[in-house]
Amino acid sequence: MLMDNEKKFSPWQQIDYNLVFILFLMFCVSCIAIYSAQQMAQYDQNFVVKQIIYYVVGGIAIVGVMFLDYDQYRRLSWYLYGLGIILLIGIIIAPLSLVPDINGARAWYRIGGFAFQPSEVMKVALIISLSNVIASHNEKYIIRTIREDLILIGKIALVTGVPFLLIMMQPDLGTGLVFIAIAGSLMLVSGVRWRLIFIITLIGILFIATLVWIYFTFPQFFIDYILRGKLYQLDRFYAWLDPEAHPDAGYNTLKAVLAVGSGELFGKGFLHGSVYIPEAQTDFIFSIIGEEWGFLGTSIVISLFFLLIYRMINVGLESNEAFGSYLCAGVIGWFTFQAFQNIGMNIQVMPITGIPLPFISYGGSAILACMIALGLVLNVRSRTRKYMFGSNQ
Amino acid sequence: MQKKKKKSHVPFRLNALFLSVFLLFSILIFRLGYVQIVKGAEYKQTSDQTDNVTTKLDAPRGKIYDRDHRVVVNNKPVYSITYTRMQNSTAEDRLKLAEKLSHFIHKDTSEVTERDKKDFFILLHKKEVEKRITAKEKKKLNDDQIYQLELDRVTKKDLDQLTDHQLEVLAIKRELDGGYSMSPQRVKVGVTEKEIARISEHLKELPGIDIKPDAQRDYPFGNSFKGILGQVKQIPKSKMDYYLARGNDRNDLVGTSFLEEQYESVLRGKKSKIEYMTDKAGNPIGDPIEKKGERGDDLVLTVDMDFQKKVENIIESELKESKSGSFAYANRDLKEAYVTVMNPNTGEILAMAGKQYDPKTGRYKNDPYGNVYDSFAAGSVVKGATVLAGLQSGVITPNTHFYDAPLNFGDGRVMKSVENMGSIGPLTALERSSNVYMWNIAMRLAGYDYSKKRFIHENVEGAFRTLRNTYAQFGLGVPTGIDLPSEATGYHTGISDDLAQAMFFAIGQFDTYTPLQLAQYVSTIANDGYRMQPHLVKEIREPSEDPNKLGKLVTRIEPNVLNRIDMKKSDIELVQKGFRLVMSGAHGTAAPRFSHKSYLPAGKSGTAQVDIKTGMDNRTLIAYAPYKHPEVAISVVVPNVRADTPNYEIGEKVLDTYFEMKDKGEPTK
Repeated sequence: MLMDNEKKFSPWQQIDYNLVFILFLMFCVSCIAIYSAQQMAQYDQNFVVKQIIYYVVGGIAIVGVMFLDYDQYRRLSWYLYGLGIILLIGIIIAPLSLVPDINGARAWYRIGGFAFQPSEVMKVALIISLSNVIASHNEKYIIRTIREDLILIGKIALVTGVPFLLIMMQPDLGTGLVFIAIAGSLMLVSGVRWRLIFIITLIGILFIATLVWIYFTFPQFFIDYILRGKLYQLDRFYAWLDPEAHPDAGYNTLKAVLAVGSGELFGKGFLHGSVYIPEAQTDFIFSIIGEEWGFLGTSIVISLFFLLIYRMINVGLESNEAFGSYLCAGVIGWFTFQAFQNIGMNIQVMPITGIPLPFISYGGSAILACMIALGLVLNVRSRTRKYMFGSNQ
Repeated sequence: MQKKKKKSHVPFRLNALFLSVFLLFSILIFRLGYVQIVKGAEYKQTSDQTDNVTTKLDAPRGKIYDRDHRVVVNNKPVYSITYTRMQNSTAEDRLKLAEKLSHFIHKDTSEVTERDKKDFFILLHKKEVEKRITAKEKKKLNDDQIYQLELDRVTKKDLDQLTDHQLEVLAIKRELDGGYSMSPQRVKVGVTEKEIARISEHLKELPGIDIKPDAQRDYPFGNSFKGILGQVKQIPKSKMDYYLARGNDRNDLVGTSFLEEQYESVLRGKKSKIEYMTDKAGNPIGDPIEKKGERGDDLVLTVDMDFQKKVENIIESELKESKSGSFAYANRDLKEAYVTVMNPNTGEILAMAGKQYDPKTGRYKNDPYGNVYDSFAAGSVVKGATVLAGLQSGVITPNTHFYDAPLNFGDGRVMKSVENMGSIGPLTALERSSNVYMWNIAMRLAGYDYSKKRFIHENVEGAFRTLRNTYAQFGLGVPTGIDLPSEATGYHTGISDDLAQAMFFAIGQFDTYTPLQLAQYVSTIANDGYRMQPHLVKEIREPSEDPNKLGKLVTRIEPNVLNRIDMKKSDIELVQKGFRLVMSGAHGTAAPRFSHKSYLPAGKSGTAQVDIKTGMDNRTLIAYAPYKHPEVAISVVVPNVRADTPNYEIGEKVLDTYFEMKDKGEPTK
């Protein structure tokens, strides 16, 4: 099978050190920011040490993911998907002792001293199975009409819809939106006609617009049938659009924007933050960076994400196999959405959802899942055959 | 090259994806530029703003002195264990903490109520108690009702299972539960050094627990008069809003009963405040501004503690005597006696003492509050007021005579005085305590003609009203106005149309009165009809630096006339004469004991039947002296007596003691 001008490297020789280096820089940023955050309140545990441990475990996970050729994951995709779905159903039916209720939502398994979030597993499984579905579809229908495109859209919607509905039962809107972001970026890359993509986008916009219209025109109907009486669901939006008028619900938004804003251009300096934000080491880690390191620091963090995604785009472009490109696109959709949503809620661009900043926020499940996803991208890159004379076809 | 073809759209689409990533990140960068650079200075200013933080330090409460300026209530510095409850603490957490604490401190369990025990039992034996509720009941009732049912089904036997150690844990848990989140709550006041050492060693394992310097009330005179001084405790939940509105903090100690409660606003100190600025992180900036607190003002009582102690001793020894020897069996139900001594001209209470026998321990404990908060049928002592009611309403004149012989109503009922006295006027009626005379007054008030044995114009209820209104003018059955919270006003039996009841009412057998009311009544007669407001506090004084000197006078409590009774002066003088005859006349009921006294007392004794079958009475005595220029008035109430006359003996000794001490310059100075 080897072509003459094809030179074979072992996968370990083809590791993308650019990506690894970006990951290392993010690791440093994460440790520094968490160290600052844990000065804020009386915590009796050292989150930095734990985060380092999570990174080490994540690193081992990357190596583990690298062992199998990524093509193997294609074969395993439905098993992984099934595992993710079972775990999500388990959340709903498991007893409280295994799945405790934390702040009104049940999203975590707790076994012994460990806790993990099955939705993180599902993100990885979803990317692999959607990539598989798209790759198989595209291999089967070489000549594509609108009909084939519609079938593909239907398949994507079905594969994404099941875990999406399960996650909404927890309820966890944030993670649900991550699934949609993954599906969206994969649909874009899958080659579905632009026209259809525009129409779907339009439908999405119309759907949201209709909800807003109903809210303003028939508020009682909106409250009774759409919120089903759960008025507090609206707080999230009030707090986002006008936090000053809703200081209780908007407390975190006000504090986060105050922290980021008061950092100005160069920040207040390491450990010199003064705005108190509860539990800042997780979802509001960005506000710590913004306050202590200023616009300079936040720009660097955003640039790191941009570089990370740029590298992944490159991996996707270089991949010899469509399946590899799709994997990259899914991971890009995931990271981009989480980074945008998390940073956005710290600066009042987005409403608050419980989504961590990938690689930076403190948290075992999230770090591990992101590392595995990055492992997939590294895997794709390592197994890309380089052509000595390039390929400009 | 099949693959390439298939994949041909991918690079373009990936680039499109990258473009959207770029756009999204650009939004973030633009927004950050706006927030951090354009608006940055504004946010910086807000975040630099400081908070004013005020910490308060408790100021000591005012002290209480007696009229001779001896300290009756003092402040003692102690250490307290406090618990600050976190918002998310659960009942289970506090149970665990109480369990741990019980190993380090000892806690008195006397304040634990039965309800507390039941709640605790359910907490400990949840499953067992749940079994006592049938499935049917569970279906029918809501959670609150089920819990109520569970409470009902905790038996006495269950509660007896609780060990002493468990009760101690419960007593501690009660205090832990009582607090408010984020505000320290005292778990135990006045811990011992050993307890402090043990707690400090384990402080890390006891979240929310702290040891703080505190103050405790100290009583140099021991239990003497303590019952009226009142208690200082944490603000009760029911009164929290009241005190918070008055600037108290949740964990403040306030007077919760009697004098401490009545004079809370005087005794309460001004807390010292330390104000300082902090940055947003809570670090203090600059020098704090200190506002010095002040100890609360001091009270000077009207009570002379020497005299008070002596009165207490008299009561105890007389009770002992009446309960011993040949009276021991007859007076098996005799348990208590009360004495109020006041200055009839000013209303100053000179002593207020009571003793209560505890058959379990065989001891006599001080019970001064019985004078204000317990009421008794007083018997013939009210006859002075009955005569005045007759005189004022015009049914008798000072010269009206009635023939004292058994009254016969033709229906078999016979009512009589102690002995037949023949034709007597009001003076003799008082001297010899004629029931028949009083009954005649009552019959006339009711419109009953005894000679014809029928009503002329029946108005029994009117008789009740006239008598009760007259008694009320003397303070009987109405608040005396003493400076104590919610005094008792006696039991009001209502109005009936039964003539016999009206007649018994006229000799003090129906309504009940407090010893304090009786003292005010006799003082009003002694004081020519002016009813004085009794008071326990004489002066309010500023705290002084010199412990041997009182501070500056803030307020002196002046004598306050509540009302002047409506009767003619000559009518009042007639009753005064009658009262003097009781203690000096040839037939005076109290004359054998008092006729030779140099202080010339006047007064009236009383006997109220409590249990006719076994001949058990309340024995009372009211008196004042000297008869011409009264300076002291007393009331003595000895309930449940079957033999002996402890009321006379106590009254005599109290008056003797008063005048003995007066000769030495006490207690009226």
